[in-house]
Amino acid sequence: MGFTVFFFIAFLVSSLFIIMEKKLSIAHSTFIYLLMSIITINVSWIVTEELKLIEVTDETMNYLAFIINRTIITPMILVMQLHLIYKYKSTGITFLITLCSLGALLIIRGLAIYFDIHTYKNWNIGFDLVFFLVLHLIAFYTYRLLRNRTYREVNKS
Amino acid sequence: MLWENFDKNEISILLLMVITFTIVRLLPKRLPPNIAYLSLLWGLASGMFLDFTIGGGQMDFYMVNDAQKYELFDFLYYVLFSPFSYFFVYFYETLGINKKTFIWYVIGWSFIAVGINWLLIWLDIIQFQKGFELPYSFAVFLMIQTTTGLYYEFIKSRQEVMLG
Repeated sequence: MGFTVFFFIAFLVSSLFIIMEKKLSIAHSTFIYLLMSIITINVSWIVTEELKLIEVTDETMNYLAFIINRTIITPMILVMQLHLIYKYKSTGITFLITLCSLGALLIIRGLAIYFDIHTYKNWNIGFDLVFFLVLHLIAFYTYRLLRNRTYREVNKS
Repeated sequence: MLWENFDKNEISILLLMVITFTIVRLLPKRLPPNIAYLSLLWGLASGMFLDFTIGGGQMDFYMVNDAQKYELFDFLYYVLFSPFSYFFVYFYETLGINKKTFIWYVIGWSFIAVGINWLLIWLDIIQFQKGFELPYSFAVFLMIQTTTGLYYEFIKSRQEVMLG
């Protein structure tokens, strides 16, 4: 069941991304997506496999759900919230979008616990909240940096 | 942990990094900055995605460096993928790869990648385990290079790529 739910969420997130109005170029979106997946893969590996703070299921289909969440769902939600932030360009709405995105990521984490994909050992939802918040900040400032550098170098050449 | 023992594999990773990133710096700039950054990150991400999926976790087909634990030089090993994905995109543009030459370009790079894989095994940077063998890497590289080429074509269709 866990696999089906996570596969469906991945499908939903990807489909919503395809139909949404894009404010970032495809190259920038991909850059942010890849960066977010690199961070998520590394942090989840260190937390689960090295420090054993969270236990990941041994059951193959649920393990696939874990990989889908780590590689598709989490980075994709971060890219989507960035597109929405640049669509509305308002501090209040930026705050609201970030809140919704954080909420979505935490609900998905809750589902992972419900379906026994994850089991907290020395970890809690507060640490997840901090991690997701840091991911949002990295995504936001990396894109700003990337955009400024790209336009500056293109103008120079 | 930074490293288990600082020996052949760690020194080789540092040397390979210096050589490959120097080549990246020395090559004439032919790609716009956003494509150059993206191609560098693409290699790192695809290397990590594959290694953390089939090289670790439930499948665990490779061991990187001296220990099963994740260490600094494991991360640097993944960074080593970056210049190669840059070269892939760079020469894709330089050689003017098109529909007719795409397959040969991908096959050629897959053979180069298997050769580099063999070198990495010889330098004790990676060790295969649980029945995984070097020829299987060919299938993995074929898939990665094809995805890279097709995705690059997709990005190219959305923007002007060459600087001239």
